[in-house]
Amino acid sequence: MVLVVGIAAGTAWLLRSIGRSPSPWTDGGTVTVSDEVGLPGVVDLLEWVLTIDHRRIGILYLIFGTFTGLWGATDAMMIRTELLNPEAVVWTSGTYNALFTTHGLTMLLLFVTPVFTGIGNYFIPIMLGADDMAFPRLNAIGFWLLPPALVLVRAGLITEVIGRLFLALDLDLGFLFAIQPPELGWTLYPPLSVVSTNPETDILLVGLHLSGIATTIAAINFITTIILERSDSVSWADIDIFSWGMLTMSGIILFAFPLLGSAFVMLLLDRNFGTTFFAVKSGGPLLWQHLFWFFGHPEVYIIVLPGLTLVSLILPKFAAREVFGFRSMVYTTLAIGVLSFGVWAHHMFTTGIDPRLRMSFMVVSLAIAVPSSIKMFNWIATLWNGRIRFAAPMLFCIGGISTFAVGGITGVFLASIPVDLLVHDTWYVVGHFHFIIMGLIVFAMFAGSYYWYPILTRKMYDRRLALVHLVLTFAGVWIAFFTMLIVGYLGLPRRYATYPAEFTLLQQIATGGAYLLGLGVLIWLWNMVQSYRMGPRIENADVWDLKDIGQFTREWQWFETQLEREDE
Amino acid sequence: MNQSRLLPLVVLLVGLIVITVAVVPLPTPGYDSVSEVLLRTLHRRLLLVAVPLTLLVEGAILYAMITFHANNDPKPTEERPSFEITWTVVVVLILLFVGTSSYLVLGNLTVSAGPDMTNSSRPVDVHVTGQNWFWEFTYPDEEVTTTNTLVLPANRTILFRITSTDVIHSVHIPALGVKQDAFPGRTTTFKTNVTKAGTYRLYCAEFCGVGHSTMLATVRVVAPPEYQQWLQQHKRTQSDRPQATDAT
Repeated sequence: MVLVVGIAAGTAWLLRSIGRSPSPWTDGGTVTVSDEVGLPGVVDLLEWVLTIDHRRIGILYLIFGTFTGLWGATDAMMIRTELLNPEAVVWTSGTYNALFTTHGLTMLLLFVTPVFTGIGNYFIPIMLGADDMAFPRLNAIGFWLLPPALVLVRAGLITEVIGRLFLALDLDLGFLFAIQPPELGWTLYPPLSVVSTNPETDILLVGLHLSGIATTIAAINFITTIILERSDSVSWADIDIFSWGMLTMSGIILFAFPLLGSAFVMLLLDRNFGTTFFAVKSGGPLLWQHLFWFFGHPEVYIIVLPGLTLVSLILPKFAAREVFGFRSMVYTTLAIGVLSFGVWAHHMFTTGIDPRLRMSFMVVSLAIAVPSSIKMFNWIATLWNGRIRFAAPMLFCIGGISTFAVGGITGVFLASIPVDLLVHDTWYVVGHFHFIIMGLIVFAMFAGSYYWYPILTRKMYDRRLALVHLVLTFAGVWIAFFTMLIVGYLGLPRRYATYPAEFTLLQQIATGGAYLLGLGVLIWLWNMVQSYRMGPRIENADVWDLKDIGQFTREWQWFETQLEREDE
Repeated sequence: MNQSRLLPLVVLLVGLIVITVAVVPLPTPGYDSVSEVLLRTLHRRLLLVAVPLTLLVEGAILYAMITFHANNDPKPTEERPSFEITWTVVVVLILLFVGTSSYLVLGNLTVSAGPDMTNSSRPVDVHVTGQNWFWEFTYPDEEVTTTNTLVLPANRTILFRITSTDVIHSVHIPALGVKQDAFPGRTTTFKTNVTKAGTYRLYCAEFCGVGHSTMLATVRVVAPPEYQQWLQQHKRTQSDRPQATDAT
């Protein structure tokens, strides 16, 4: 309740302060020119809602992704707060279980992909010399399916807030309180997900299905745009590495998401119409795991490939040389895309499936480490003999690859069946994938947000705040997630609302790290909003001195012409 | 190119290192069961390669950052296939080492039984049943059933037959290197041999609902004579009660 009031007060304050004219002192007196950004009018808002312009849709995606990311991060902060104590004293076990469920679903399906789709929407047509995305109207539909999907997925909390509002008006709408946030884990394993009597479980499945449709639509659009809409001057050899990443990602989506949608429909039918796809005496709970992870592991690469390739795109710009081994970067991206479909059963090493089957999945899971390591060595070789500039995008790239090393190597440990027996379903796994998701993917997003901030806003961000953000985030990742590796190796399972007292100190350290991450995100948000409102205006398109090193790429050239046009 | 000539040496060196690490015997201090020895020894073997590798990579990133920061003479990127081949081969060698040693351990895990004190041909059968939110242990040979307490004889082969009556659970005894999921309608097995008497914690490691984190059991490992004593005692108290569970 306190949280709801807090959010409402915060929003009200923010809305008021946006309307107000900027005060000159917040920027430390370094700004000479700044213009006022006021509240948009109704017509402006309508223009945004009805737009089919790829750049505007891209920005809508980015705003949506930021919002869901902040929501998922709030879940994470609540999870970590609960874990300060070995007993469930802050929230109940049920609330805790709902929190890690919604945290996972929100972050994986409604945060990461929309953010990268947003970046791709804005920049890929420009970088490939296309006028727009291949299907502009489809593009808008793809985006506008996401907000309803979010409402359905997070309905449990939304209905409770609405119910409480009506309660304040002396209207008791009991059914709104019957819809509770799901307590299933994001993997939705039956029989637990079939026997759950919470009506939100069905609403959640419909919402997830909807988000899957939106993701698939965006993927089709990217594939068509990248293959067919390039300008004549951009041959296959000229496609930048990030577009290759988005192309591969879209290809994986095309094969993985329809299957997930079918699995959701099967689960819905099992829950409501008495079918027996996952019933014990029929297909069995193991069938769900096969279907789910056949989507679920490619999903890991769906979210990581844009991050990896974004790092490959930004890193050379601040090392004053081309990326090392461009061709192997492309081939490794494609190789990961193909291999990602052959590793799913490594999530099922403890289910008792045939050891020979497990062995083949172990082999492919180890093999997929080869392309990832090649990328790592290529990045280091790019840095070698270059001229490294410590700008925020670069520091986030370097920080990202250093944490990715740990995430990748712990992944090899988990691919080894015997080691997996030791740490499967413990905090070790949580630490491992957060080293990649937070350590690489979100680092790449932050790098991108700073790198392209001038193009997106015509303003420059506050460099000092960006550095504080970097330090907090980097320290937070190591403290929070390395501690989780230790807790997991000591045997504590994940998804535990309460835990034996001997883990208290380690859990508190991890929570401390998570709080640093949360603080970093707030500083980033402040920097993005405040710099947009009153940051110094960009006059020269060559913000990063890319002309000197011959890497003044297409999106910056486009930005230069935009600026010239504005001056006229 | 002088540097390129060193590359085969690097490959050779890495090959030698991983072969050494793969075969060198490691001490097993304080490990409590045959499966724990196998799993944790493998984990340490992998760490022997992984930790230096991680330090090398992080060191290289840090070194490059510092050395080439504000370097006034950046060199243009060249194609260096020899380098790319080298680190690909190095990574493949390391992964071959991981795969082979894991394969060997996995084979041992399902076959090896460890020392059996009583020289009996049959292992100690324990049926483990998970249900929301407690564990039931049945000794079918002895017609004994317990709840949330598992008593095992030391130095005997133990065969767990694991199942569930409702949703998926997972038997997880980290200190003994035991982990196996419990599925409704299916029976999974796990074999081990506990070499040291003591008390260990059994967790449920597959999310099973609101009581998941309270689904803990105690594993008490005792010397075989003491185990027999416990069985007799338990049988007596169980037969005193009219509602005694039929263990078979």
